[in-house]
Amino acid sequence: MRLHPLTSLAAAGSTAIMTTAAASLPLSLAVIAAVAGLSLAGGVERRMLAAAAGILVPLVASLFFLHGLFFPEGSVVLAHWGPARVTVEGLQFALERSAQLSAAVLVLLLCSFTISVPDLVAALSARGVHARFAFVLASTLTLLPAITTRLARIRQAQEARGLVITRGVFRRMAAFRWQAVPLVLSLVEEAGTRAAALEARGFGATGPRTSYREVTDPPFQRRLRMVLLLAAAAAVALRLWQPTAGA
Amino acid sequence: MSSPSLTLESPTPAAARKRRLLEILGALAIAGTYIYLVLNQPADITGGPGSASALIALSGFLVGAVLLVVAVLPTLPVSTLVLIPVALVLNIVLGQFVGSTLVPFYLDAIGTVLIAVLAGPAAGAATGALSSIVWSFFNPTVLPFAAGAALIGCLAGLAARHGLFRRFYLAPVAGFLTGIIGGVVSAPIAAFVFGGTSGLATGAIVSAFRSMGDSLLAAITKQALISDPMDKAIVFTLVAVLVYALPRRTRLQFPFVRRHRVLTGQAAGQSAGAATGQGS
Repeated sequence: MRLHPLTSLAAAGSTAIMTTAAASLPLSLAVIAAVAGLSLAGGVERRMLAAAAGILVPLVASLFFLHGLFFPEGSVVLAHWGPARVTVEGLQFALERSAQLSAAVLVLLLCSFTISVPDLVAALSARGVHARFAFVLASTLTLLPAITTRLARIRQAQEARGLVITRGVFRRMAAFRWQAVPLVLSLVEEAGTRAAALEARGFGATGPRTSYREVTDPPFQRRLRMVLLLAAAAAVALRLWQPTAGA
Repeated sequence: MSSPSLTLESPTPAAARKRRLLEILGALAIAGTYIYLVLNQPADITGGPGSASALIALSGFLVGAVLLVVAVLPTLPVSTLVLIPVALVLNIVLGQFVGSTLVPFYLDAIGTVLIAVLAGPAAGAATGALSSIVWSFFNPTVLPFAAGAALIGCLAGLAARHGLFRRFYLAPVAGFLTGIIGGVVSAPIAAFVFGGTSGLATGAIVSAFRSMGDSLLAAITKQALISDPMDKAIVFTLVAVLVYALPRRTRLQFPFVRRHRVLTGQAAGQSAGAATGQGS
């Protein structure tokens, strides 16, 4: 069964909210395991691994460095060197927070890797979300790869003209100017052309629109979305009701 | 460039009032969340991860940012709207690069500040918030900072409007002040949602303050006060370099630049008239 983009968005969002609200290590680990299984099943494990490593390795390393060595509130000291004290409480805090953040990050990443952007855009505009948001989303996601290649091409061109990046703040700033100005200039110029074209096609107009792309939305998934959102709201309400339980 | 349409109806005053209300509600949600978090923090941080503060910080700031986007986005002219994806891409390309390296800066707001200077505070705020929302498709950890990014965009637009980009040496000063405000507002997010910072270099600065016995929020706020003003001063300077390097024709395409004489070297009335005559 193919999931409606809003259903997978709701599932990912409510899972992230519920793991944050529950703040329990076993639940976070279970979510991480489930995401790993789902990404293997969906065949996106390589892209997931690369993206997750880029985000989570610095985050987790920073958390363990920060709380593992410096946690003034901790009382059970395992080791200390000068001002740095390794405490049980600090390590515990770092572990719990890392697991919880990793679960939320992984679930959202899985969602963005499996979702089909054209479907999401069509679904959003069909549901009365302003077409402008859909435009910004789709346009950014398609511009991004184009711009990374263009930046590489601009650098090559400038290097052919004698650009050598050397030390020193002012030299670096000049190098930045050499590369960024052509990039920004061409992007702004193109945006102007695109604005005229869009406006000529009634982009700024209000009123009903028709779409070439139909995204099927079975009633079962509609109900599922409601249940997921209610569950997330309930988890938040429960946590706010009993702020210290389970912590 | 964009002119009022002759065939399509223009928005009614009631719709404008509704948008104004949404803007105010969004700003109130962000301010209220911040004040609540700062007043309640001392008892909460040792309460363990996932405490109520994380949820309040997340929901309050996100709701505020989304309300701002909903209020501002429909009012932007199409010529500004098509620039937002460009700004987002600049933020992501430059921010992704710096974010995880060993520099205690982020430089993830160049696009936002650029739009704010060219198109004004409202566009800047919408770009900042949207940038975080769209970027979270690649990196979900930036989503909670949407409100801070919106604030940076708004303040950059206000700085441009009041002529701080007319003199080259004033741009870093404006960036420094913006960074102080933005850093202080974003610190509770880093403290309550992440329990630290996401970069290694910024983490080292926080550790230094923690080792002196500061609470987590105090340590992160101090780190933000070290990193953010410098970061935003650099960003504002880079944007000033960029904006002055753009050809005059491209700069004057933007009504905000013409009307408030954002950049030096053009007389307001005369070039506004000339540019509208040619542009629209």
